[in-house]
Parts: sequence; structure tokens; C-alpha cells
Amino acid sequence: MKVKRILRLIVGNEKQQAYTVPLLAILCSLIVSSILLLFMGRNPITAFQSILAGAGVLPRPNYAGGRGMFTDIMMTLSELTPMIFASLAVTVAFKGGLFNIGISGQMLFSGFIATVLIGYSELPSYIAMPLVIIIGTLCGAFIGALIGLLKAKFNINEVVSSIMLNYIIMYIISFFIQTRFIDPITRQSVEINSSARLVLQNVQVGPYRAVIPFFIILAIAAAFALRFFLNRTRAGFDLRAVGLNSRAARYLGIKPQLNIMVAMIISGALAGLAGVTHYLGFQGAMPTRELVGTGFDAIAVALLGNVSPIGSLFASVLITIISRGTTYMSSILDVQREIAQVITGFILLFSACGAFIKQVVNTSDVVTAEPEADDVPTEEGE
Amino acid sequence: MENIIEIKNITKCFPGIIANNNISLEIRRGEIYALLGENGAGKSTLMNLLFGLYEPDSGQIFLRGEPVNISSPAFASSLSIGMVHQHFRLVEEFTIAENIVLGTETIKRFLGILPYVDMKTVSKKISELSKSYGLDVDPDMKVSQASVSVRQRAEILKMLYREAEILIFDEPTAMLAPQEIDYLLQIMKNLREQGKTIILITHKLNEVKHIADRCGILNRGNLVGVYDVADTSVEKMAAYMVGRELEDEKPPSKHDFGEVILDVKNLSVSKQGTSCVNDVSFCVRAGEVFAVAGVDGNGQIELADAIFGLLEATGGSITLLGQDITNAATRERVETGMSYVPEDRHSVGLILDFLLQQNLALRRYYQKPFSKHGILNDSIFESFADGLIDKYDIRCGRGAVTVTRSMSGGNQQKAIVAREIEKDSKLMIFVQPTRGLDIGAIRAIHEHIMNVRAEGHAIFLISMELDEITVLADTIGVMYEGRINRIAPASELTTDEIGEYMMGVKT
Repeated sequence: MKVKRILRLIVGNEKQQAYTVPLLAILCSLIVSSILLLFMGRNPITAFQSILAGAGVLPRPNYAGGRGMFTDIMMTLSELTPMIFASLAVTVAFKGGLFNIGISGQMLFSGFIATVLIGYSELPSYIAMPLVIIIGTLCGAFIGALIGLLKAKFNINEVVSSIMLNYIIMYIISFFIQTRFIDPITRQSVEINSSARLVLQNVQVGPYRAVIPFFIILAIAAAFALRFFLNRTRAGFDLRAVGLNSRAARYLGIKPQLNIMVAMIISGALAGLAGVTHYLGFQGAMPTRELVGTGFDAIAVALLGNVSPIGSLFASVLITIISRGTTYMSSILDVQREIAQVITGFILLFSACGAFIKQVVNTSDVVTAEPEADDVPTEEGE
Repeated sequence: MENIIEIKNITKCFPGIIANNNISLEIRRGEIYALLGENGAGKSTLMNLLFGLYEPDSGQIFLRGEPVNISSPAFASSLSIGMVHQHFRLVEEFTIAENIVLGTETIKRFLGILPYVDMKTVSKKISELSKSYGLDVDPDMKVSQASVSVRQRAEILKMLYREAEILIFDEPTAMLAPQEIDYLLQIMKNLREQGKTIILITHKLNEVKHIADRCGILNRGNLVGVYDVADTSVEKMAAYMVGRELEDEKPPSKHDFGEVILDVKNLSVSKQGTSCVNDVSFCVRAGEVFAVAGVDGNGQIELADAIFGLLEATGGSITLLGQDITNAATRERVETGMSYVPEDRHSVGLILDFLLQQNLALRRYYQKPFSKHGILNDSIFESFADGLIDKYDIRCGRGAVTVTRSMSGGNQQKAIVAREIEKDSKLMIFVQPTRGLDIGAIRAIHEHIMNVRAEGHAIFLISMELDEITVLADTIGVMYEGRINRIAPASELTTDEIGEYMMGVKT
């Protein structure tokens, strides 16, 4: 009881919990990581500083020629772009009561189709770029629709079908890359033409050379658009209703099947955008037999972001900074790169606990404040 | 007579509420002690303290004169306290005998090595017990095939098998037909004769009057008083319970019905391959309350779901206001003129994680002015909700923006009723509209139903509570095993007769 009371004091009411709980999770993970680093005989402050410096948020003491903080931050932003899209894809599926674990596959599919159709063409970039975006969106939406259709028509669990599709897509695409588009030196596909790339490469800004990932603006806009869609439109209302309680939705005359399709199509489309901004932006080539981790990390990022569009935006920033800063931190501290992943892991672990904390704090409120309100438990609960 | 339980100055607080405020009670050995109170009065909390589910903040429980700290249900059971919960704790796939011994099996060893449960001795002991207390059960029957009342008897036997001396019954008659209730009350009397102590949690005053020796009445966490049932009238008890005098509810006065609103012909419905509703025909007219009586699980819910379009009709037709809606979508039916208060308010009637203002608007949000060109207007939601909160006396912590999950059951139900009545449909379906609610909330909902009846709406009511049907219905249909066996004006049917049709004695 005491623990509960203290927790309630810290995290506040349900509205405040939207940000207090993730912050608490981050704080806890920083403390635990610090202890870990101290055990290894490293200074945690230096570690966190070097992570920020590696991601371009803080300046490093010295840079190679033509590089600077600006270069680093632009690299971080170009990795951030697909992460935002991917975490939004997870968020919208969650809101519709679905778990889209196939984001990586959807990213790979749309990235590959866009690469093959546009990436190797000679189109000028003002035509190529919009086409890449459109193709990416459509391809992702197509895979999303497929998963949604299987769920809505045949009640096939979307987790199973999307994991299966991940592998199907990965191996089929690997086959085509290896037989048709392989670059024998890099063991990846031939590099994508710069006119079709979604980042501007080697741009000279003052003394520094950097990539300019301007599609980050689209990603941020997408977060706000998704928020508007979910909170302010009738279609978003229907979608959330189905996600929260599909039996009630049916009783209200909302069609769950239709909304499953809508949620998966939007989720797939966002995953498609993540795919093209990753492969045709940040990456610049298609790998073989490899699913990108972004699609899986995005699930945790969305959870850390409280399954809300704007929350996902902030969580993406945090996680991307940590993952970008890793290399530099490991060289400064002379620890393994994996340490950064351990820190990320702690953050995600604690944010998962955050959901638990919320449940503890809030259910105790409901059950105990109205001990006899629930004389009639729901049938699902039994 | 000695006191078997003494509860001294027990206080139990939950954040924001005092569930039990300095309560002291004595329960005598061998009596039937009724604990009366509305929902939220604190009676379940008090019994959960006694059964070891909660621990008190202050105060002490004495059992047979000794102070005890009851820390868990298992410990309570070892102190020979047993509880029959409102929702039974039985394993469906086991036989009744297996359920009864579960957890206390006597293990014997075959050939001195292989362990097995000695069901022979168990069955013998169970039949002895059931004989001596007049509890009629077949120990070898599977629970999944047993009726509600048989399951309840199995629960009672489970306590007796564990040699419980103090038996707590939590709302035991909520799901029983009238004849089954009589039988249960007889069982309780038998138990008392054999020296058992019974604590009965209920809000049905007639039962208390019928069998209890004394009753303790709780109101908002406080003990109002302890009364000898023999010298206290039912009206007095009701007044103590709600804290004010209540007038008797009277059956609806006669008036002429209007045109036929809902016409159901030869309707059949199946759910998951099994037939639930079989060739049912009836009609509901404007200004009429048509009530379906029946024991839970005889197809009433499925009938209502089929009329509303949640289940597909496998045969027959449904006509609403002259329009054939047999195959129409739910929303089409709503727009033609149908409202529906579902049985299950948590998983069907509400989206608990939505705000109250969203839940109140669920029948309108897709229309102007709530939604224009697909964009929702929050301020319309709020002002609409404020109106309903006021009109229907929905109590909620933060007004229109309260999260619905945090509201009490009675207020959640008021919200559903408000939403469905405000839709102003010609036909309103109410399924178990007052289940689990306290007297105050029940009266309020009954009043709303009578008001819409007076306004000329047609009302289709399904209830497992005969009391509710007798105070509301103009016409009663009794349903048994998927068929409506008798339809008659309420004035022509006696309670006993309805009970006989409900049990399938008469068809």
C-alpha cells in the first residue's frame, strides 16, 4: 500500500502520467546504467556526454576534416526520419487494436520496389523524389492491406501473418537483389542513384559537409497529422473505438472489419515511408537477407512514447540519439558498443514497467475507490 | 447465545473513500445474520475483511472470543469460514464431486506406490452431507451441465465439506428463479438448524424478512443499526438502507396502446451453431412495455441481440415501424428508430477508456453538429454531455471529461440509459437495465422507463428479476429454452405462474 501511495505521488493523475511515467522510466534506466558503468570502472557522466556528442547534440573535442557537429546531427536526423515513421506505424496499429510487427518487412518491400522502379532510373530528382515517396506509401499500404484483409476476412492473427510476411518478403527480395542488382564488393545492391535519394548528399554548409535529410519535416508533419486524425476526426474516433472495445463498436454500428483494414493500411503506408526514407535516404542501398532493426525498435519506441503520435516523436528522438552516439561512446570509454544497447534496453525495460506502474496505480484507484461498483464482472474477465 | 464473531471498531479506507467507518458487529452462533446495504455501502468490503481478502486499517476481529488476524482466504478457511461468491468458483470440466474436493484431496496409494484420489470415500461423504442438509445434487454430474442453482448447491457443499461453521453468502439469489430461491432459503434454514452461522449479503428485503434473525444495515460505510428482523418492517429496512423513505413502486396504470412498432414473426437465431431462439413471434406497440421473463440463458439475450442486428436471424422476420429490417445493419436499425441498453455495460455498452462525453455521444457523434465533414467538434460533445449529466443525475468526478472507467457501476449504467433514451427512438430495448445496481439507481432507471412509456415509445424489456418485471410490464412473455411459451397482459399472470413457465413446468 505504501509503495502504491508513493508511486501515485510521483506519477500524478492519469493525465500527468502521459509524461511522468516515461520520464520516470528514463530516469530509472539512467541510474541503473550508471551503476553498471561504475562497476565497469567508467565515469557515467562521460559516457552520457559522449553519447550526446556522438549523436551531434554536444560538440566533440575534435573532428576529422570537413566534419563537425552539424555533420553528426544531420546524420542523426537522417536516421531519425525512418524511426519516426515506423513508430507512428506501430502507434496507429495499436490504436486500432492491432500489433503490426511486420514493419521491417513492409519497409523492405517498399524500399525495394522504389529502388527498382526509380532508384536506378535517370529521372531528375524533382520527379524521382515524389515518385519514391508515392511508391513507398502505396507499397507499404498494400502489404498492410494484405495483413488487414487476412485479419478482417479470415480472422488470421496479424502478428503471425506479419511475421511470416517479414520472412517471405526478405527472402524473395534477397533473391532478386542477389541475382539482378548485386554489387560484388559491398555485397549489397548497387548503390541507388543520388537523384532518387531522399537526402541531399555532400552538401557544403559553411565549413562542413553533411547530408541534409529534409524529409524529416514530412515525418514530423505526419506525427501531427496522425494526431489530428486519431483525436479529431470521425474516422479516427471509429478506429479508436474498435481498438479499445470491438464488441462495443459492433453494438454502436461501427464495422470492426472495415476499421481493421483502415488501421493496417495507414500503418503499412507509414511503414512504407519509413522504408523509403531508410533505404533510399539514410542507407543508399538495399541489403540482402537482412531486416532492418528500426521496424522492431519502433514497437518499443511507440510504447515508450505512450502509444501516442507526439509521444512517439519524442521517443524516436531519444532512442535514435542513443543508437547514433554508441560508436563514439565506445571509442571514448573503451567499452563494447553493446553497452549502448544495454542502456537502450534498460530504457525500454523500464518503460514496459511504466505500463505496469500505471496499471498498479490506476486500478487500485478504481477497484478500491468503488469496491462494490463492479458487482458484474465482464464475461471476458472470467 | 454466545457471539461467534465480534468485529470491533473496524475501519478500512481506500484512497478517497472510507469503505468501513468504525464498524462494530456481533454475530451469534447459529443465527442468520443479514447484511443489508446499497452498492458501495461497504458490505462486500466488510465480508472481504472477514474472508481475508483485505486487512483492516484499524480495529480487530474476534473469532470465538479470540483475536485473529485473517490474512488470507486459505487462513479464513482453516478457521472454518466459508464464502459462496456471487460468481461461482467452479471448474467447468470437472464433476461436482471433483470440484468439492479440489485442494483437499485425500491421496491414497494403489499397491502402496501409485498415488490416486480416493473418490469413493469422497462421493460417500458428499451424499451424506447432501442428505443431512437437504441439498440435492448428483456428485458425478459435470459442472458444465449443471444449472445455476445446482452449481450454487455445489458451492455450499464445498464449504460444508471443508467443515465451515460460518457461511457467507454474497447475493445468492441474484440469478435464481422464484422456486429456486424458495429452495435455497429452505436450505439456509436447514443449515441454521444444524448449528451453522450464516451471513447473508443482499439487498433484497423480502428474503431478509423471510429468513434472517437479525440484520445489520450499512449506509455509505457506516453502520446504521442492527435490528431484529421480526420487529422491523420491510419499509423501515428500506428507509434505513437508503437513508430516506421510499414509496412503493406500483405496476403501470392501464392505458391504450398505439400502433405496432416492432413486429417479430417466427424468429429463429443460432449462436455458434446452437439454436438459441426458436420460432418466436410477438409485437410491441407504442406506449407498451413488453417484458420477457426467464431464467438466465434461455435465449432472451440472443433474442434482443438479433432484434438489434448483433446476431443474424436464421429464420423469420423483424419489422420495425413497417420497415423490414431482418437483414439491416445495426446503424441502419438505430436510424430507423431503435435504442438498446445492453446487458453487459462494461464490454458492450461503453468504451471504458473513452471520456464520459464521448460515451454519451456514441449514438450521435457521426452526425451534425457533432461531426462536420468528418471533423469532430469537441465543444458540442461537452455541452451535450453537460446537459445529460444534469438531466440524468450522472455523478462523475470531473464532469464531461471524466474517464468512464473511473465511474461507479450505477453511474455508468445511468450514462448508457441517458444516451439511449436521448436518441428518442420509437423502440427502446432494455436488457437487464438494473442488474447489480442499488435501490436508488434502480428507482431512477425505472422512472426513466416509465417516462418514455408515457411519451408513447415502445419498450422491449428483458429482465431476470421478476420484481422488476411486475412493476414495469404491461405485457409479459415468458421464455424457456428459446421459445416464448406464454404471452399475456401482466394483470393476468401471477408470480407463481410466471415462475412455472420460467422453469418449463408449464408450456
